[in-house]
Amino acid sequence: MTNGRLSNQIRRLRFEKGEMTQQQLADLVGVTRQTIIAMEQGKYAPSLPLAFRIARAFGVPLESVFQYESVSP
Amino acid sequence: MNRLEKMAWGNIGGVILCVIITGPGIWWMVGNNTKGLVVLIPFLVSGLIGGLISYLKNMKRWAKFDEREQKIAAKARMLSGSVFTIFLWCATFTIFFIVGANNPVPAWLLPALFLSGIFLMVFVQSAVILAQFAKERFND
Repeated sequence: MTNGRLSNQIRRLRFEKGEMTQQQLADLVGVTRQTIIAMEQGKYAPSLPLAFRIARAFGVPLESVFQYESVSP
Repeated sequence: MNRLEKMAWGNIGGVILCVIITGPGIWWMVGNNTKGLVVLIPFLVSGLIGGLISYLKNMKRWAKFDEREQKIAAKARMLSGSVFTIFLWCATFTIFFIVGANNPVPAWLLPALFLSGIFLMVFVQSAVILAQFAKERFND
């Protein structure tokens, strides 16, 4: 079994989306600002429904927001 | 302070309130060597005030938490459940060795142990939640 690491482009996409604040994104996708912070720092991997909501908030495909890198043991 | 932290502080406050309300009753009961069903009154009061109200309050708020908060709360519940089990296990065996195998155990001791375990569990659960968010703030 291979381990993986989930990275994301939320911070970059927020700034490309007219300097959207963490709170604005949090309100759009229905989570707290702390959850957005934790995701941006790579400390929290969101569920699939939340990942889709974030991608839709930016108007981009899921793969543009989240990347999964396989790491061989 | 977020909603989960508010809930945790509320739970700690509830536990302290229950101890303040029922503690003197239990103290008086033990001091007067009370017997009969009246023994259960302080525990029933404590259980009703703390348990039911806190449970209903938390269930109502549960839907408002986002998925990460729910995960933190679930981890805290799991840890506090383990603490509850270990506490009951240790307390039961400690009492067994203190009282002795052939001596009677006071009836009030069992509900007292159970409620103490519940209070400890709620306290640990709340402390874990608060510690998690304090750690996050420190790292930010």
